[in-house]
Amino acid sequence: MATDIQISIIGSAGDGTIAAGDILRNAFAGMGYKVISFDVYPPEIRGFGKCIARMRITTEQAYSLKHKSDVMVSLDDSHAIPHAGELRDCGAMIYEQGSIVRLPEGGHMSAHVGPGQLPYPLPIRELSEKSTGANRSRNIVVLGFIAGLFNLPAEGFRKAIGKKFRSKAAAAEASEAAFKAGLDYAAKTFKLDDVVFGPPVSSVVAGSTVEMINGNAAIVRGALDAGIDTFFGYPITPATSIMERLASEMPKRGGRLLQTEDEISAISAVVGAGFTGARAATSTSGPGLSLMAEMLGMGVIGEVPSVVFVSQRGGPSTGMPTKTEQSDLHMAVYGGHGDAPRIVIAPTNVDGCYRCGGKAFEMAEAYQTPVIVLIDLYLSNRYETVVFPARPPFEADMNRKPGKQAAAAPYKRYALTADHVSPRSVPGEKGGMHVVTGLEHNELGRPNDSAELHTAMSRKRHEKLKAALRHPDFTHFKRFGDEGPVDVGLVAWGSTFGECLEAMLKARGEGIRCAAMKVVMLSPFPTHGVSAFLADCKEVLVPELNYEGQFANLLQANVARQVTRLARVPGEPMKVEEILEEIRRLAGRGKSAQKAA
Amino acid sequence: MGDIKPVYLEEKLKEIEESGRLDYRSKTLPTWCPGCGYFSIVEAVAASLCELNVPNENAVVVSGIGCSSRFPFFVNTYGMHTLHGRALPVATGVKTANDALTVVVVGGDGDGFAIGGGHVPHAARRNVDITYLLFDNGIYGLTKGQTSPTSAIGFRTPTSPYENPDRPLNPLLMVLSYGASWVGQAYAGRPDHLHKMITQAMAHRGFSYLHILSPCVTFDKTHRTYSNLGMQVRDLPADHEPTDRAAAMREAMDDALPALGLYFREERPTLGDALDGLVEKAGGELPGKPAAKPARKAARR
Ligand SMILES: Cc1ncc(C[n+]2csc(CCOP(=O)(O)OP(=O)(O)O)c2C)c(N)n1
Ligand code: SF4
Ligand SMILES: [Mg+2]
Repeated sequence: MATDIQISIIGSAGDGTIAAGDILRNAFAGMGYKVISFDVYPPEIRGFGKCIARMRITTEQAYSLKHKSDVMVSLDDSHAIPHAGELRDCGAMIYEQGSIVRLPEGGHMSAHVGPGQLPYPLPIRELSEKSTGANRSRNIVVLGFIAGLFNLPAEGFRKAIGKKFRSKAAAAEASEAAFKAGLDYAAKTFKLDDVVFGPPVSSVVAGSTVEMINGNAAIVRGALDAGIDTFFGYPITPATSIMERLASEMPKRGGRLLQTEDEISAISAVVGAGFTGARAATSTSGPGLSLMAEMLGMGVIGEVPSVVFVSQRGGPSTGMPTKTEQSDLHMAVYGGHGDAPRIVIAPTNVDGCYRCGGKAFEMAEAYQTPVIVLIDLYLSNRYETVVFPARPPFEADMNRKPGKQAAAAPYKRYALTADHVSPRSVPGEKGGMHVVTGLEHNELGRPNDSAELHTAMSRKRHEKLKAALRHPDFTHFKRFGDEGPVDVGLVAWGSTFGECLEAMLKARGEGIRCAAMKVVMLSPFPTHGVSAFLADCKEVLVPELNYEGQFANLLQANVARQVTRLARVPGEPMKVEEILEEIRRLAGRGKSAQKAA
Repeated sequence: MGDIKPVYLEEKLKEIEESGRLDYRSKTLPTWCPGCGYFSIVEAVAASLCELNVPNENAVVVSGIGCSSRFPFFVNTYGMHTLHGRALPVATGVKTANDALTVVVVGGDGDGFAIGGGHVPHAARRNVDITYLLFDNGIYGLTKGQTSPTSAIGFRTPTSPYENPDRPLNPLLMVLSYGASWVGQAYAGRPDHLHKMITQAMAHRGFSYLHILSPCVTFDKTHRTYSNLGMQVRDLPADHEPTDRAAAMREAMDDALPALGLYFREERPTLGDALDGLVEKAGGELPGKPAAKPARKAARR
């Protein structure tokens, strides 16, 4: 039987909510299940803000979280009560059974468990205190209880707990005791037969490895597998963990990472390093990308390979640093002054983060330009089980070298060629000397602002990127669902595509002819592929997480076509139900349509 | 202006030819106004590169934007003419990616201490192994003569038509306090001394900062002129001890009569050394550093 179970743990920052979620998803991944998981953090570092650890455990990789959970754990009723309605009928609500005396009216979960939901009040605090002498291990007690309740192999949990507390012996010991207390308690309670874990399905090809990682970690892995040489960055949520991970991994491989004084320095150093032939990158979020705009233009006109990983958060300005949004698309694609075409790729899942993270270096070299990899907080922090191939699928060197051309003086760094890419020399190479300049220049790289040259060089910078639309071994866009003409076609980008895919599959289940296309390469825009798809669609729906529909704008700038925009700014992933409802409406099957029928 | 003479001598040119290296001056003629102090700087830099035997292709000259920043086009090396104020971080990237290169940064007072002022402390404290030549004319030359952060109080320019209300910065004092490991001052009107100082600065392992006083003959007819500077500049006292940072700072504070010479010098690990240290700490392998090959490449995969 295919497994599809979603678990949410809700508590406050001090409850170990996220830590419990981390152990739980590692345990499931270790057992061989597919996991997709996305946590919610409070904006403040300290205090008692709300934390939610959520994961969906499946036999086949799921594309998004579900609207409702099958199991909900409350470590803090004040935070969990508003979410009680997100537990499905016959789902299990696990909460503290302890005293309600000192709580305000309605402050205890027992008053909020819905009629169809199954209450599991536990003495969580008592079990923790009895087993460890402290109440700090309440989160681990709950994990033991879940293991027992669902008959899951305790060994998988113990491994994940051991990994979490690898360097803290005392905590590891306490956790072991707390886990056992929860496990034993579960033996005394009634079992839930509505939520059942079937056996996991292994889809691993020999030589490849499966890991459960989040989008930022996948980008790091892609960058490392592509042979990143240097990294320069400045911390900013939600991109920081890219830099932090690279800081510990790169020196192990002889690489160099520097925390610069700001994002302007970071991108400047990337352009400097790119000039020398190194594979160089930086990572940032919207505010940093704003600061980088001028130097990115320099990378464009100087034709210097450079890679920027951008994880979006709510904007503008400092906006909502711990909330997700897809509102930096315009800046990524168009940002900065002048005609400054660049490559922008936006993966739609964690596996895509790995691929884009590595491919970005290939493209930067092959087309001699800045490449932006655009993700968002949701994808940065979303965990998925990813199958990594045995050999990294990235080319080590995509440079077009001048060879003999350099010797044939004078060397033309910006030679106008048939495919608009000029052979590039790097410092240290005799005969290849040239000056990279932000001024408009001639083929030699000398400043020149004649109308003819500016036109020729502008054409070169734009036209050379077209080849990126055929970059080998890369998914620029992809269609899913029904083939041929459809009633509703979804076009989406980035993290939101997962919800679109789920919604599309559900709509098909309801008998609606439906398909969805993900667009990964945003600039240059794959107009041909997208317009061919749109020609098949009676109605086009574009869901995305920004106010106006920035992707819809981009699409309509390239393809003349009416679309329905579903643009929302809740600061969290879009709800599958909301997309589905819109599909129904467009297909003439909306609630109102049904009623009328 | 009479004491400017080319330091790039015929014998040198012959020597270059014999060594198989190229002339360090490019065929592009400088676009500067006749008489501008910058001419003597380009001659001196070419002569120093020659003297230090730096192969042309191993030198990278990085600049920002300004009259001074046009410099890379006038030397026969690799070069980057970047953005206003961003030469230092770009150069940090160049040097971090390839230690084998000789990296020289050039730029104006506006470029380095107005828009790019935030980068100087960090290049200095990290001891990036580059040479920073700051061309201080106390004015924005390229944009036609506006006030700069080193303009004198009371100076009149198109953006301060009544007078400049701001007091000038003291770049030497700042750089000394930022932790630069080599700090000196020269004057474009004394080309021989300038050349010696540039050679020393480039020979120093670490962040070397040379402040070069240079007149803008076109837009400043009243303050930093050859005749005024000629009367003001003095040599550092003969007994100045260049290993004494506090003494160097005391000398730097007397900016009414600017002293030329080596203010401060110390040996300490460079940014490259520190980053190599991290590789060792992490148990990684240091990539071989073949001369001027992209240094990190070897470590891939
Ligand atoms: C971001 C930005 N702002 C302003 C300018 C215009 N600009 C170019 S050079 C310059 C000042 C140059 O003065 P300085 O750095 O002292 O160099 P100089 O010309 O005196 O050698 C200014 C304001 C620019 N190019 N870029
Ligand atoms: S404007 Fe001034 S600084 Fe610029 S080239 Fe002319 S004299 Fe030199
Ligand atoms: Mg100036």
